[in-house]
Amino acid sequence: MKTTLTAFALAIILPAGAAFADDDCNAPRDRWQPHEALMHLARQNGWTVKDFEIDDGCYEIEGRDRDGREIEVKLDPATLQIVEMDYEEKDGKRARNPAPAGTVAPPQNGLFGNGAPPQVQVN
Amino acid sequence: MKSLLASLALTTALTLPGLAIARPVTLTTTLNNYGGDGAYLALYVTDASGAYVGSLWMAGSKSKYYEHLSDWYRATGGDPGQINGITGASVGAGRTLEITLDLADALFDAGFTLHIDAAVEDMRDSPNEVAVPLTTEGAGTSVRGRRYIASFAYDM
Repeated sequence: MKTTLTAFALAIILPAGAAFADDDCNAPRDRWQPHEALMHLARQNGWTVKDFEIDDGCYEIEGRDRDGREIEVKLDPATLQIVEMDYEEKDGKRARNPAPAGTVAPPQNGLFGNGAPPQVQVN
Repeated sequence: MKSLLASLALTTALTLPGLAIARPVTLTTTLNNYGGDGAYLALYVTDASGAYVGSLWMAGSKSKYYEHLSDWYRATGGDPGQINGITGASVGAGRTLEITLDLADALFDAGFTLHIDAAVEDMRDSPNEVAVPLTTEGAGTSVRGRRYIASFAYDM
């Protein structure tokens, strides 16, 4: 009986564990945006693309931003939202900076009532 | 038991934002003319026991400067995940930052406090520059910051 219970418990735990080991992006291939759409977004953001690859199920761009800093951007291939963005600072250190407002949904910390991004202006 | 139920209700409301009732709230922060570079500002919320609950906004995009927002940094370990999607530019001296967001109703009149940490390059850090209790009665009341913030108010 004890073995059955353990096996049952494992069966419940395992799917969650498997989910953790999953890719960073999980969109099915048929929903991926074309490469051209990604390059269009890069141009809009002022990025110069040096290298492009698919990593952990995400699109990944290496290049420079409009200020000339080296960047590495991981994007969801279906929505083209930024999953992670790293900058190379002038001192050569890599800093992990947060994604800017509007590029991803606000954090699910329970403070944001409807999950909509804040509207911001500086006067 | 009653307090357990209350905190359970609150936790549930906070962890299920989709179900929580929310209202649009505008946070207005005006900086004084301190004569320096743009200020980094972290707006975050603590609960009745003073524990960090979450962040509302980060003005300033480079994570390497976040350690100067020392109370926020201590609470979060500088984790960019806390502010992904709610980060914008630093705010210049004399300028006004106006943020409108849908805040969960459960945050008001329940002992929560909104804090602002401020930091300016080559000037003194100012953690907990503003700390205001979130109450329906306190809405629209302007408060002064300690160093860089001339006034802060939340309106709903």
